[in-house]
Amino acid sequence: METRTGIKGRGDWWSCDGRGFARPETKRETEPRDACETVSLLTPTRRQVLLGAALALVGWAAKDSTALADLTITPGKPAERADILVVIFLRGGADGLNIVIPYREDDYHRSRQNIGIAAPDDRRAAAADRAIDLDGFYGMHPAMAPLRPLYEQGLLAFVHACGSGDQTRSHFEAMATMERGLPDEKTGLASGWVARYLSQTENGNPSPLRAVSFSSVMPDSLRGATDATALTSLSEFRLVLPSGGGSEREAALRAALESLYREGKDAVALAGRETLAVLETLNRIDPANYRPANGATYPDGELGNGMRQVACLIKGRVGLEVACLERGGWDTHVAQGSSGGWLASNLDEVSRSLAAFAADMGAEMSRISVVVMTEFGRRLVENGGLGTDHGRASVMWLLGGGIAGGKVYARWPTLKREQLEEGLDLRVTTDYRDVLAEIVARRLLHSRAAAIFPNYTPRMLGVAKDRA
Amino acid sequence: MKINRRDCLRLGAAAGAGALLTGCSQAVRRFATPALPETLELPSDNVEPITRLVNRVSFGPPPGEITRVAALGRDSYVEEQLHPGSGEPLAVSARLRGLEAFEVGAGEVGDLRKEEILRQMQMAAIIYAVYSPHQLRERMVDFWTNHFNIFAHKGAGAFLKPTDELKVIRAHALGKFPDLLRASAHSPAMLSYLDNQVSRRGIPNENYARELMELHTLGVHGGYTQRDVQEVARCFTGWTVEEGFLKPRGRFRFDPDLHDDGPKEVLGQTIPGGLGKGQGDRVLEILARHPSTARFIASKLCRYFLGDAAESWIERTAQTYLQTDGDIRAMLRPILLSQELLDSPPIMKRPFDFMVSALRALNADTDGGKPLQEHLTRMGQPLYQWPMPDGYPDRTAAWTGSLLARWNFGLALLSGGIAGTSTDITAILRAARAQTGARRADALAEVVLARRADSEAMQPLCRSLRAYMERMPASADGSHPLLNETAALALASPLFQWR
Repeated sequence: METRTGIKGRGDWWSCDGRGFARPETKRETEPRDACETVSLLTPTRRQVLLGAALALVGWAAKDSTALADLTITPGKPAERADILVVIFLRGGADGLNIVIPYREDDYHRSRQNIGIAAPDDRRAAAADRAIDLDGFYGMHPAMAPLRPLYEQGLLAFVHACGSGDQTRSHFEAMATMERGLPDEKTGLASGWVARYLSQTENGNPSPLRAVSFSSVMPDSLRGATDATALTSLSEFRLVLPSGGGSEREAALRAALESLYREGKDAVALAGRETLAVLETLNRIDPANYRPANGATYPDGELGNGMRQVACLIKGRVGLEVACLERGGWDTHVAQGSSGGWLASNLDEVSRSLAAFAADMGAEMSRISVVVMTEFGRRLVENGGLGTDHGRASVMWLLGGGIAGGKVYARWPTLKREQLEEGLDLRVTTDYRDVLAEIVARRLLHSRAAAIFPNYTPRMLGVAKDRA
Repeated sequence: MKINRRDCLRLGAAAGAGALLTGCSQAVRRFATPALPETLELPSDNVEPITRLVNRVSFGPPPGEITRVAALGRDSYVEEQLHPGSGEPLAVSARLRGLEAFEVGAGEVGDLRKEEILRQMQMAAIIYAVYSPHQLRERMVDFWTNHFNIFAHKGAGAFLKPTDELKVIRAHALGKFPDLLRASAHSPAMLSYLDNQVSRRGIPNENYARELMELHTLGVHGGYTQRDVQEVARCFTGWTVEEGFLKPRGRFRFDPDLHDDGPKEVLGQTIPGGLGKGQGDRVLEILARHPSTARFIASKLCRYFLGDAAESWIERTAQTYLQTDGDIRAMLRPILLSQELLDSPPIMKRPFDFMVSALRALNADTDGGKPLQEHLTRMGQPLYQWPMPDGYPDRTAAWTGSLLARWNFGLALLSGGIAGTSTDITAILRAARAQTGARRADALAEVVLARRADSEAMQPLCRSLRAYMERMPASADGSHPLLNETAALALASPLFQWR
């Protein structure tokens, strides 16, 4: 178990703040006055444009006067008490039916004779190969055992038969639909839903680490957010000086870069200024020496490392509001396995990452909401390669102190053939935006959900508790 | 333990010839670095349009290229690039020597380790892109490699991809799209990547069928349905990869026993039963001739060379596709000669474009080896390693997070921090006749950006570079301790990230 004494020199850095948002010493550029045509989303009037677009689109909601009243042109409710939002996107279409298994459905077991997961009470299977019972109807995949205590403590919930209206079964369309917060792939808004959330929350948080994506490329959900940063490793996010360079030389180079990036108004210049501000902040919190608390051990994978760094940023009090992470490897057309195998090892990493994060954050989980989502689920019937093809509905996972957990939320359509979409796939009975909008409304920003998901009146499921 | 031909060669080399061979190839490589031209002075006028053209047609101008193209004229330059010869200069051939993954067939590559194949494939891609005079072909190789993306870490991908790169992508990069499509559909690397090798009668796998229509031909709104996906998947059952004992493993094979030979209906056309492999061939013909394919390929080509192209350009290019049976050259020529290409907003370089353009601009000597490839990974674009079938993104917004890694690449490159890759700034300044004095910063900016230092767009950059150099005095012999870092800053500048 790692303790504070394990840290040399900076024993208490993570608890040093508590004063709210850290402010970088260098003055950050205000938004430029005009910008390159190719990046219209990044223009200085971006926020007005977005708000304008949102307003135009919520015109339909006029019948709902409260929805309109919520949309004032001047954004500005401070959001210091909002939860920190962590969004994990499982890319490739994660097989919801083998993640949260409707084990009481005979059609499930009939359709998945090779890759199906045995019911919790199925004595023909070894105990370790059976689903972990959640409520007498659904069970978790056995590889998700690390999450069992969180479910029992009421911190973890699932929303099943959940998805978007996208009918293409295309990864890219379905991902773009969800990351832009749209009903289906055909509609307008090019900005990401997380970017719209950020632009609605003008809280004066100047942090360059307000929104961070742990990925080599910026995800669509943050598209249009000038205050977002994409990086893969906090500790490697530094200028690497030619041999023999000291801090003086680094400062000189940084000053030179600042002068190079001072004037531009295009997407690259904006990103350059953002990058320099992040360098400044990370210099202070020393992520290379981060030690998780409470004996938390993150798995050594893409997601485990990402969650560890999210924890580091939260404890470093650098002004993080949103973290986006992703994990690929869910496109299990072939050999997806059953209680063991490909899907199981994916679920193992996700589950251990979430469990470690919850342990590491301890009481701070009360102001953190984690959402795990995927672009679509997979076909009910297994294919000839012992895998599953692209389907429709999947399952969303929610973790946090503000989640009404210990429950599987679903309007279960059943797996009967006539209930399946096109006779093949689990039908979407809960729109993914219902879940996101409720998190936004109850845990993040009260009533602004309408501007973040325009043209949509979400149906509250009760998955989140109102923020105290 | 089985010892094969390659192991024998390796053992032989290790036993003594190794040192000699290595030393020899290094000497050849050094000799094979292109010589700097007599003068680096840019033409006195009309530089901007030529620089823009060269930046779009190629991976970026090396020293002297702007002057050469100015003398050649726009039409002749584009014609030259549309018709590359088959030969390669010593700068390419000497460096490619010994990259076995590119010299042998698919089955044979099985003796190499996966990481080694991937290393060699990336080396070859970098070497071609940096040194080949056939730059447009190399850009099209990059384009099609992403269009028909294959993730080398999935299954046997690394072992099969070298053949795909040679026989599919390189063979047809400037040919006819239907030929390229057919070659890709018969490529074991593609069939294996998109799981078609396990698709069989009764239980077809939809992965290839779907991406074939969504990403390779029609585009997602090209007019197909979920039913079409299922029918096309049935047509391609039995298109698989040879895995039999004593057979040419890793070759394409049609297995009639796995094929569902019943009649099908694809995009409103009936494909009769009993055609065997012919059913898949028929699907490829339907797709290659489809107007949605013409439009989809046209829109991607326009975006690649023109950025957010005007609708009229996409329409025009799609018409050319339909009139010429998908002739890639015929589609490219008007795009490359267009005023649109000169006037449209700049396009952000992807990391591979950025790295190659930097190496070209500074006339670097590189073997394209692992240390260089690691920088590409840090910038977010390790080649052949994008897991999804859509290829690396071409949106500017996707790449703005890679700036720090780009800055670090420049600093490492100019400080000799990348083993196997080097630059000689002194030689460049000598050729630019700017060895001493204040003109050095301007000269470095001119070499890197291929734009005149006295042009308006260059003023902020030149000012910053001059200020940086003024931090320290010149040495007694006239040289300057900050020359390399100044060049690195030019590579790091916002201007150099655009093309």
